[in-house]
Amino acid sequence: MFRLSLKMTIARKGRLFLTSLAIILGTSFLSGTTIFSDTINSTFDRLFTDVFRDVDAYVRSTDSVDTGFGEQRAPSPVAVLDTILKVKGVSAAVGDMQSYARVIAKDGKPIGQDQGPPTFGGIASESSAGLWNVEDGRLPVGAKEMMLDRETAEKGKYEIGDSVRVTALSGTRQFTLVGIANYGDISSPGGATFALFDQPTASEFLLKPGFVDAILIQGDGTLSDEELAKTINAALPVDAKLETLTGAEITEETTSQIKTVLGFFTAFLTAFSFIALGIGCFVIYNVFSITAAQRQRESALLRAIGASRRQVTVSLLVEALIVGVLGSVIGFVAGIGLSRALSALLNAIGLEIPTKGLTINSNAITQTVLIGTVITVLSAILPALRSGRVPPLAAMRDTALDTVQKLTRRIAIGLVLIAAGAVGLFASMNGADVAILGLGVLGVFAGVLVIGPALSKPVAMLLGKPVSALRGVTGSMSQQNAARNPKRTARTAAPVLIGVALVTAFTALAASIKNEIRESIGSSFRGDYALSVNSRGFGGIPTSVTDQLTQLAEVDQATGVGFIAAKVGDESPFVLVFNPKTADGLYDLSMVEGTQKGLTKNEILVEADKALNKNLTIGSKVSVTLVDGRSTQLTVAGTYTDAYGNYAISRELFEGSATPLFDSFVYIKTAEGVSDENARTAISAVSQDLGIGTLESRDEYIDTQAAQVDQFLALIYGLLFLSVIIAIVGIIITLLLSVFERRREIGLLRAVGMTRSQVRTMVRWESVITSLFGAVTGVVLGILTGIVIVVSLNDSGFSAFTLPIGNTIFILVGAFIIGVIAAVFPAWRATRTEIISAIASA
Amino acid sequence: MNQTTQVTQKIDLANVAARAESASKIYGSGESEVRALDNVSVSFERGKFSAIMGPSGSGKSTLMHCIAGLDALTSGSVYIGETDLSKLSDKEITKLRREKVGFIFQSFNLIPTLNAYENITLPLSLGKSKGDKAWIQQVIDTISLNDRLDHRPSELSGGQQQRVAVARALATRPEIIFADEPTGNLDSKSGGDILKFMRRAVTDLKQTIVMVTHDAVSASYADRIVFLSDGHVAGEMTDPTPEKVLDFLKHLGE
Ligand SMILES: Nc1ncnc2c1ncn2[C@@H]1O[C@H](COP(=O)(O)OP(=O)(O)OP(=O)(O)O)[C@@H](O)[C@H]1O
Ligand SMILES: [Mg+2]
Repeated sequence: MFRLSLKMTIARKGRLFLTSLAIILGTSFLSGTTIFSDTINSTFDRLFTDVFRDVDAYVRSTDSVDTGFGEQRAPSPVAVLDTILKVKGVSAAVGDMQSYARVIAKDGKPIGQDQGPPTFGGIASESSAGLWNVEDGRLPVGAKEMMLDRETAEKGKYEIGDSVRVTALSGTRQFTLVGIANYGDISSPGGATFALFDQPTASEFLLKPGFVDAILIQGDGTLSDEELAKTINAALPVDAKLETLTGAEITEETTSQIKTVLGFFTAFLTAFSFIALGIGCFVIYNVFSITAAQRQRESALLRAIGASRRQVTVSLLVEALIVGVLGSVIGFVAGIGLSRALSALLNAIGLEIPTKGLTINSNAITQTVLIGTVITVLSAILPALRSGRVPPLAAMRDTALDTVQKLTRRIAIGLVLIAAGAVGLFASMNGADVAILGLGVLGVFAGVLVIGPALSKPVAMLLGKPVSALRGVTGSMSQQNAARNPKRTARTAAPVLIGVALVTAFTALAASIKNEIRESIGSSFRGDYALSVNSRGFGGIPTSVTDQLTQLAEVDQATGVGFIAAKVGDESPFVLVFNPKTADGLYDLSMVEGTQKGLTKNEILVEADKALNKNLTIGSKVSVTLVDGRSTQLTVAGTYTDAYGNYAISRELFEGSATPLFDSFVYIKTAEGVSDENARTAISAVSQDLGIGTLESRDEYIDTQAAQVDQFLALIYGLLFLSVIIAIVGIIITLLLSVFERRREIGLLRAVGMTRSQVRTMVRWESVITSLFGAVTGVVLGILTGIVIVVSLNDSGFSAFTLPIGNTIFILVGAFIIGVIAAVFPAWRATRTEIISAIASA
Repeated sequence: MNQTTQVTQKIDLANVAARAESASKIYGSGESEVRALDNVSVSFERGKFSAIMGPSGSGKSTLMHCIAGLDALTSGSVYIGETDLSKLSDKEITKLRREKVGFIFQSFNLIPTLNAYENITLPLSLGKSKGDKAWIQQVIDTISLNDRLDHRPSELSGGQQQRVAVARALATRPEIIFADEPTGNLDSKSGGDILKFMRRAVTDLKQTIVMVTHDAVSASYADRIVFLSDGHVAGEMTDPTPEKVLDFLKHLGE
């Protein structure tokens, strides 16, 4: 039987190809994301192994805050270098720094972007423990000299002897370029830029005099790295709060930290690849169902001549197994190309992630092939069982029209699922867990998919009405064809439904978030202009800029707001840092209780919901530990609603701290009677000097902030694109199989006078009706999902929901176009139907 | 055989509904070459019921398909009325089939998604024409299917389906109707009904029908029979009776 199924599978090349196509597409995204993640990971692995190649031991502070998006650590005193150098077994030791510094190119534009690879400032030392090899010129000495990495020098068109402007924590300064260096052997690691100074200048300019981020140590070879680290650690002053790691440990730790951050991202990608795979499943299931139906006579004949049920079922499963393995192997290969496309997509929307070469792990291929095959075989089980149940008598029956199916049970099951889902949704709208929300959405989706076949006939008839009115019999036949096989139509439309529902839900969610951002900024930002950067977490606008701006005659008031990692109670959130002295009337936190004015360095403000959640009221004590390990008890002085963070503290708290504090945005109120032009000129004079920050009017700023959501939405659209392609291919496959199945009908139509173009029209409109059926149900489902998510995640209730009308229309038009595109090939195929052979094939 | 060719040529061209001139159809090439039609010249008179007979594989269906514009000849030419089909594009042939030719096949004559009435008027609807209402009603009356017009093919018996097919073939009042074993799938009672309708369509409604058949009784409904054998015209007979036909076929077999 196995040999027989093998032979039958191979004999039907067309069907084999179509089924494989669905599997190839479904698995290619999975393999693409796996390869992409593996490549990123190995790129960083290699990078850091390379970077720490000559580092045998690493000394750093024990104080750190881990926000979940990477760790921030307190600086170490450079004085400890002397102690370390005296330790037996140490041959060299040097301070290391990776602080924020933005180099400004000759044309006045900064090199590197807010959301691109980091722009570092560091220490240039030629000690063999250091990371830099001087290529041209010499090492910088003193407060006026600097060195650049080769790539940055080339990008900025700088040569040795040029004067270079750099912006860092303590403002903007001019240096003379005296050297150009390579990072290990490479000109620039991962596209990052480096401005390098001698240690005292670096500490003073980038961080805090007398401090470095960490100390890199090279041994003289007499001790193993472990022993060296142990010896050094023993020699460190007890109260210095320092620790020593081996070279291997720091490499491992740095890499794994980056991987954690990237992990969020790759998990996100993986989620979408599973969506694509799920959608692929529908297509695979559909193809097997249709071909099983088309084979009904063949199966019946096999049964009639004595094959057992099991043999018939097994023969179809064997086919699924063959196609599954074949499809997933090809899908895996296609995934290699897709991983490249993924890099390109991320680059296109500004999320540059360095990848070097291509890393293909053996488990990527086993995973892809295994999942692909299992899914294919699973999708084939129901159709295979069904074809096993075909009575031998069916060999004589005509299969042109599906027999009317019993839908009552289906409707019942679907309604139960929807009802269960709805209960979950209601619960989550009234404050239940996010997991309940997810389950509720899943329940409703599953229910709608189960009910699909019951919906598809009436909806297809309804959608087909205008087509039939417009196109006469041809249109009417499209309408009938779309409705004649409700299960098939529903299964074909399911991928469109899922894709459209997701797109709609995300679009609605984005529109609502955008609206909320607008309202939130609108109410908190009372000024005329905003100077902002987009790099929360690393670098930003030096806090001195606010003072510079305030001194301008054109400016009445300016206040900066930044974010910093800190431990608050048992959490490690980003805390909002503002200046209560200058914020009044310009930056308004929308206080619920208490006032923001006059907030002291011993006080803290808490977001209203958070306060409720944590049981904090005015007068409560909260312990706050900054990155440098300094811990204080702050008193809650008020609660607020509109802001980016859950906790807000005064900038005063950071005075004298070694924690680098930048502003993320500066709000500006101009003096009375100053024209827009004058204000911009005056402010840009300061901001351009920095080479960073975008100056925008109030309206522009609000637009830009809201538009940031679009970037995320673009990413989601990009990731859902593959699902849409799979949906299109699903329609193509179904249409092709239908055209094949109805070739006698088409032959007859051609015989009695249907022109080729009418045949095309007929197939095209069937496709459009099917696609629109999926899209309309998808849009309805998507909007409902959007409403539920917005309402559950937001306490302002339904009013927070914004319906993206334009986008919804766009999606429906898109579905229409998808229908037209999907029909092109099948319609062409249909016109090629040979009248004679179609009529002759009894 | 020469004699028969001359007989056909004597027929007045203006009264010919369709004809083939030196028509050859070759399938395959080289070793596997099959001459389904070998230099066949034949014509079918307007207002007459003609039958084509011959052994299985003699080229009856091939001849019919080629004259009806469903298939192309390898060499020679076919005419529907005065129109040379070889000079027409696919689109023009389609239009010609829709307006000037009617078809009845052995089985699967109807579109399963359309009801009987829609099937009958299908060629008209495809040409976006309303057709002659009175004529269509007359046709429907003739086949006595008035009470089944809104039924789908799956709800009709085989005989009823073939009657609908006959009505569809007549609906456009075509120049000529081709029927390939229209009663091959039916019992003798329903088959007889269909043949009677076709006879009436020719006698009362002045239609032209060419029918392929294996059955001597069916063939006896026709005015004239053309016999094919091995891709050649093997003879013809006017005003046939079943006995005469069987007799001729016996000779043909020898
Ligand atoms: N598509 C084709 N390819 C190759 N040979 C063909 C094809 N169609 C028909 N033939 C051959 O042409 C010859 C004539 O076939 P045709 O169908 O016209 O016969 P027929 O007289 O209609 O037979 P029947 O009474 O069995 O229907 C046969 O030998 C047949 O095998
Ligand atoms: Mg035949």
